Amino acid sequence: MFHQTTTKTVTILLLFIGMAIYTVFAGFYGRELVIEAAYLVILAISLDMVAGYGGMVSLCHGAIFGIGAYVFAILTGMMGISPFIALVAAIAASGLFGLFVGAVTSRTSGIFFIMTTLAFGQMVYVYTFENRALGGDDGMSGVARLDLSMIGIDTNDSLQFALLAVVFAALSYAVAAFIMRSGFGRTLVGIRSNEVRMRALGLPVLRYKAFAFGISGALAGLAGTIAAQQTMFVSPEMMSWMMSGEALVIVILGGLGTLVGAAVGAVLFVFLQHEVSEVTRYWHMVVGLVLILVVVLGNRGAYGQIEHLLERRKKGAPKASALEVAAEKDASHA
Amino acid sequence: MLEARGLKKSFGQIDVTNDVTILVEKGERRVILGPNGAGKTTLFNILVGELKPSAGTIHLDGRDVTGDTVEARAKRGLARSYQKNNLFTELTLKENLALAVATASGASGWFLRDTLNDTDILAKVRDVAAKVGLSELLDHPVDAVSYGARRQLEVGLALATDPSVILMDEPTSGVGPEMIQGFHRLLKTLPRDLTVVIIEHDMDLALDVADRVSVLNYGELVFEGTPDETRGSSLVNEIYLGGRADA
Amino acid sequence: MNFWIVQALNGLQLSMLLFLLSIGLTVIFGLMHFVNLAHGALYALGAYVGVSAFALTGMYWGAFLLAPIAVALAGVVLYLGLIRRMRKAGPMNQVLVTFGLIFVLLDITRIIWGDLALSIPEPQLFTGRSEVLGVAYPTYRLFIIGLGLTVMAGLWLLLSRTQIGAMIRAGVDNDQMAACLGINVERLFFIVFCIGCALAGLAGAVAAPVLSVTPSMGTQLLIPVLIVVVIGGLGSLKGAIAGSLLVGFIQTFGAVLAPQLASVAIYALLAAVLIFRPAGLFPAKA
Repeated sequence: MFHQTTTKTVTILLLFIGMAIYTVFAGFYGRELVIEAAYLVILAISLDMVAGYGGMVSLCHGAIFGIGAYVFAILTGMMGISPFIALVAAIAASGLFGLFVGAVTSRTSGIFFIMTTLAFGQMVYVYTFENRALGGDDGMSGVARLDLSMIGIDTNDSLQFALLAVVFAALSYAVAAFIMRSGFGRTLVGIRSNEVRMRALGLPVLRYKAFAFGISGALAGLAGTIAAQQTMFVSPEMMSWMMSGEALVIVILGGLGTLVGAAVGAVLFVFLQHEVSEVTRYWHMVVGLVLILVVVLGNRGAYGQIEHLLERRKKGAPKASALEVAAEKDASHA
Repeated sequence: MLEARGLKKSFGQIDVTNDVTILVEKGERRVILGPNGAGKTTLFNILVGELKPSAGTIHLDGRDVTGDTVEARAKRGLARSYQKNNLFTELTLKENLALAVATASGASGWFLRDTLNDTDILAKVRDVAAKVGLSELLDHPVDAVSYGARRQLEVGLALATDPSVILMDEPTSGVGPEMIQGFHRLLKTLPRDLTVVIIEHDMDLALDVADRVSVLNYGELVFEGTPDETRGSSLVNEIYLGGRADA
Repeated sequence: MNFWIVQALNGLQLSMLLFLLSIGLTVIFGLMHFVNLAHGALYALGAYVGVSAFALTGMYWGAFLLAPIAVALAGVVLYLGLIRRMRKAGPMNQVLVTFGLIFVLLDITRIIWGDLALSIPEPQLFTGRSEVLGVAYPTYRLFIIGLGLTVMAGLWLLLSRTQIGAMIRAGVDNDQMAACLGINVERLFFIVFCIGCALAGLAGAVAAPVLSVTPSMGTQLLIPVLIVVVIGGLGSLKGAIAGSLLVGFIQTFGAVLAPQLASVAIYALLAAVLIFRPAGLFPAKA
């Protein structure tokens, strides 16, 4: 179950404050990295909500992320609609697609769930890739950024836009944490732990799973709109299953089922990508090896390992219940 | 209250439940007896909706629930415990019970409130924990407590949904004789308006708590009567002991 | 009419390639419940080894022989080093580890063979075109079709007529029961995994003269192969055959008739099968 522990609060605050400070002192390229890290934080958190807490390992979050980006791009770039409306529409569209995929796949589990989400994700990817009206494999440019000039923010300034992206990431964490510590979030963990029992307790499990996937989709869509605004360009590659795989890798690197881990993983991933590719062209190999290592070593991830060390639960000998203690007393008196 | 009529379940050629009719009244304690493989657990699975019957009807409070899902029946007040522990193993006992309480009260859909920090829910959790004797263990994860404690939690989860009918599938299976006594003390403290159907192996103790007894053998209902009639029935003793000897 | 025959042959050729890849993947899954996303990367490795083997021996047949052996050896290393300990780790961990393997294998091939597209010429025996059903069709592609059919028949005989085939079928049906019957399931897994890798390597070498050899050729083919496996039914030979034909023909005819529809149609088919017949069209288990 999710608890906003001190470790979590301290880590997440350090992370976001660190990102903000780095943004202020970094050059243009550094700020681009911060923006990328920020939208990956949001995407990874959205994936962790369903994969880490709900047990639904999705391979279509890349596609949902892409839907957010494309809807935003189509509305602002092609139709000239206000970015605010486009933002809301993009989040809604991603959420609805998530809800749809969640509803259709809610009966499947394990590898079948993974494959079904892969199928839906690839359907979206291929459709976009082949659709000339959406720019096909060339993608689409001319995406507008949010206009926040009335509150004195110039989103075309790289520093201000990067800080805005960090704020969005922080808000996303807050929303996700709030949901995970609510009755709904607790119930989701119950479903992951034992779906059959939740049903026997009277929970309409399928509806809950679909709804959770919808919420997660909406968040993934928000990440997509930020990605689209960063480069003012969208391409079908954001929707491919490799993108979904990358999102999953980020969550695993940071620590599955911790929310903070997803955020840490995203920053770590961007940092690794940047640092390693300075040294060698083969940074994918490094990521691959790290991923394999993390999974083989017990799958805690960077933040998960820290949390494990700091908050190790004391697992003593099995505890006897009062009834058993009483029973033992009875036996010894007899 | 709980009325099952003409229930039949076939797997291929084999009838594992054949024309079973059981009518349980409100507040009644009904014990189901029968040798291993008599179809007792199958009957429970049909009653709660985990298995679809090939024929027959089930009424709960006068309402036909034969076509309802497991969760819909549970919402109508039908709870069950399992013969093999079916718990939220990596969660604490408190979290386990809170999930059950929250689901029954509708709090599982809350977005703005935390079910693990809600006074009403926690009060109910403590209440149930006290009933089944788990008060001291609430903060321990299930996989760190003893088998006996897990059996108690198994019943606790079913009780935590505030059911009107509870089906207990061998709550004492695998625990020692002293704990069996404890479970029967627990049964006697349950509110009298709660309907209890219980599968039990231990005949003497079963007859002690039962208002009426149903005996299954090879998927068929072969006997029904009061505990005294059951004790006096040579048929029951023969089948029951015979079945036990086979198993 | 000729158009249809040529397209049908193209479809058949793609189907055979898909079959060579999917049969290994499906039996590995059926037997070990193991999802190997790196199967496509092994196929690419086979193609690259083929390129080098050709350079070394100067003969196509050098590639044809060495590629499966080399990839099977890679399979041995993978199995002993990684796969064995991931067997009981659950689908998510398997997906992750083999996803990581894709990255590693992809970059290994880039380090050794570079980023440029390579290829092998067709064997002299099968150059040019041959007359089939009134159309002139590349002889080498006919060879691929023939090879696919031969492997199909061979595997069918192996699975239905031999002792090891019976053991594999028993293992797919119920591995615990098979172990109780005294079958060394662990060794069976190992053998099947290596055969699967060898077939992936063979597919790579066979595809090298037709498709260009690039680092990403594996990831490109992985998804269609996964679709074949799932549509057909995990662990089923019949399913792999049916799935390969279905996907091969839909892709080929779709590409010429309705490109936009066809590519989506395959995924829609996959989603439909997963939702309505999750065990696939020809489930391996009763």
